[in-house]
Amino acid sequence: MRQTAPSRRDVLKFGLVAGAALAGLPGCSAVPGRPDPGTPPVRGGIYSHGATGGGLKDTLEPYFPVTNPDISRCMQLYEPLLRWDPNYEIEPSVAESVTPNTDNTQWTVRLRDGVEFHHGKTVTAEDVMFSLATVTDPDNTGSGGTELATVLELNNSKIVDPRTIVLQLNSPYAVLDQLLAEYTVGIIPTDFDISHPVGTGPFAYEHFVPGQLSRFVRHENYWDGPAWVDELFIYDFADDAAKVNALLAGQVQSIDNLPNYLAGTIEQQGASPLVSETGAWVPFTMRVDVAPFSDVRVRQALRLIVDRQQMIDQALNGFGILGNDLYAPFDPAYASDLPQRVQDIDQARSLLRQAGQENLEVELVTSSAVGAGAVESANLFVEQARQAGVTVRLNKADANVFYGDRYLSWNFAQDFWNTRNYIPQVATSSVKGATYNETHFEDPTFTALIEQAKREPDPARRRQLMHDAQEIEYNTGGYIIWGFKRQLDAYSNLVQGLEPHRYLPCSNFRFSRASFVRQP
Amino acid sequence: MTDLVTPSPAADTAPSAPARSAPGGWPWLKWFARRIGLAVLTLWLCSVLVFFATAALGDPVRAILGKDYGSSPERVAALQAELHLDRPVIARYVEWLGGLLTGNLGNSVANGLPVGELVGDRIVNSAVLVIVAAIVMIPVAFGIAMVSANNRGKRADGVIQIVMITLAGLPEFVVGILLVALFSTTVLHVLPAVTIAGGGAPPWSAPGSMILPVLTLVIAVAPYVARIVRSSLLEVLDSDYVELARLKGVPERVVMRKHALLNAIVPGIQVIALQLAWLAGGIVIVEYLFSYPGVGASLVDSVRNSDFPMVQVLAMVIAAVYVGVNLVADVLSILFTPRARTAITS
Repeated sequence: MRQTAPSRRDVLKFGLVAGAALAGLPGCSAVPGRPDPGTPPVRGGIYSHGATGGGLKDTLEPYFPVTNPDISRCMQLYEPLLRWDPNYEIEPSVAESVTPNTDNTQWTVRLRDGVEFHHGKTVTAEDVMFSLATVTDPDNTGSGGTELATVLELNNSKIVDPRTIVLQLNSPYAVLDQLLAEYTVGIIPTDFDISHPVGTGPFAYEHFVPGQLSRFVRHENYWDGPAWVDELFIYDFADDAAKVNALLAGQVQSIDNLPNYLAGTIEQQGASPLVSETGAWVPFTMRVDVAPFSDVRVRQALRLIVDRQQMIDQALNGFGILGNDLYAPFDPAYASDLPQRVQDIDQARSLLRQAGQENLEVELVTSSAVGAGAVESANLFVEQARQAGVTVRLNKADANVFYGDRYLSWNFAQDFWNTRNYIPQVATSSVKGATYNETHFEDPTFTALIEQAKREPDPARRRQLMHDAQEIEYNTGGYIIWGFKRQLDAYSNLVQGLEPHRYLPCSNFRFSRASFVRQP
Repeated sequence: MTDLVTPSPAADTAPSAPARSAPGGWPWLKWFARRIGLAVLTLWLCSVLVFFATAALGDPVRAILGKDYGSSPERVAALQAELHLDRPVIARYVEWLGGLLTGNLGNSVANGLPVGELVGDRIVNSAVLVIVAAIVMIPVAFGIAMVSANNRGKRADGVIQIVMITLAGLPEFVVGILLVALFSTTVLHVLPAVTIAGGGAPPWSAPGSMILPVLTLVIAVAPYVARIVRSSLLEVLDSDYVELARLKGVPERVVMRKHALLNAIVPGIQVIALQLAWLAGGIVIVEYLFSYPGVGASLVDSVRNSDFPMVQVLAMVIAAVYVGVNLVADVLSILFTPRARTAITS
């Protein structure tokens, strides 16, 4: 633990833990235990979810979700053609199938029969074309459309029949299905109106107050089985304590992003934690084009300095999976055969000596704006680096400074990333011209391998190309990826049906599968 | 004074203000006008400070866009146009002040909706919370003070003093956490822990969910008021005229109510005003803790979003509450102080 004066947050933490501890005392009122796994789901009831964050920026826009509650609302209203299953593998959704031709330049979309929008219209090929045109609109490209826009040629794509579309690409792209499975590429009808948003999702829009709450009703004709509950409320919570209290008092049935330190204690109070693996990471970013990091030996030395397990234990309260300086852990091509890098101070010192940097002094820029675990891991890095004779000055920047003018040009800093597969991640972070290339990594051999992989129709060969690319990053990259976060959410013991999911928090926000254990 | 006395049959039947206060009406009006003038001047100075403090601090567009500043020049240009950043700052101020006075509060940069629409309900919600808390708090605080003063030096007084000092020393979020643990999550499960009313209905549509926030505010504020009222009560109880009343055989209960309390009320009014003004800003944490849909959360959220139009309006609202509450307190204090009343009229 760091030695600082107790902040408001610490006191709140203490209050919550102390409150939880009190619950263990005999004589306190009874709390519901975990339901029997065989309990049949009950139809009906009003389900409330407490979503973390949100504010006046909240929106119901299908293609521009900003805050965490926005994402949870998107998942109720809209659905993409394909979707991620709990293991982060692609499964059909609004489309029955999306299949490439032999060289990955044409993809055929076959729509599921009879998928209905909330206003009763059936999804047709026109709606899909309209949705794709909207999300890739060059004047207003949605967050899920940026990569899509670079490959998709909508003008040359054609509607074959009301349920079939052939999408034409300007170059071979082997993982188009992954782009089409993102929640930011939901299908909307051609008569879409944001003042009364309509999609194909399990819940239909009813009421929305930015920064406060949103209300939905069950979509009776939902293709994947109508929801068990009648109504769904999603409340915004700015404060962790309020959110947890609402869960424990039974005012909401589930919350996302439970603070890690509470995982054990809520179990005595009628709620259960929901732990999921994710591919989300908070790397240290070293600019490979600026001294001293331009010397690969310095980069490798800093990677060897990190005690990854300690970072997971202390910065993530143990809720993490070891990282190996590679991203996209759920990609089938993830190079899990490369040896796990562990702390090796002697080797780090020797590399620094070879590089002529025995008394290396660097500045590390961090900010609480990077998210949970960032400042904590930066503090740990300062201490771990000291063992190898490296002096790290910590610059704790304000959010507006960190993501201000100098963002993407800090020499040594941090950033946050969510779960992505390998090719889409590379496109946004690791090639020349990528939107968020913090490390300025642009190895020509690497880029050539990626280009080849995008074209390669044979999955085995493609996997090999991606493996070779990862080896280059493993040996020369600018990221220090010490771990992947585990997602921690919580739900009341009075509901069931939520399960760990690798894609989005709280069982992928699939409240259509949640039900009360007894008649509410 | 003659100009105010316009004899008319209506003046005799309807007790209209100028007719009744005719002898002292004009000085009162003058005094009141001066106070209002000062209040307006204070608010104007606030508006200058608020505007220039928010407009002069760096580039708002950069602050708003954050990570996206570099990657989307179109949004940068759009925001610059929307905020009229190309015009001189004085012109922007004049335009903003004009909008403020005419009720045209501009649009939030976070979501483009009119600021008035976004903060209207929230201001009402917060005001209800503060007013309910004040209605509960004032009699409670005066009651405690009277019990305490009545038992001066006895054990009851000592216990009350210790409890009051302890409560005054506890930050309001600690009080809130303890109350929630006690009444909703841990020990008992009788009250809602957060104020989330279904379907966006106002918080008072579910009065149960307002109990804990109100109680927290009362506990946060009442000790200060009670302590001040108690000490001024004691001062009055020691005075010659109270002694004289007692010697005349007036019962202690009446002495307390008629002679002491009325005279001790003025410092009480002042401290209540200070506490209510503090609540206008201090309510933020309580609203956070109970997820109460008031101005607190939007203020913090707007600052975080660098939503300048929102911050400016909310800052002005809070300044207006300060000035307004203090104005009311001053007027009430004068009305309750005979010496000050005569000073104005003579």
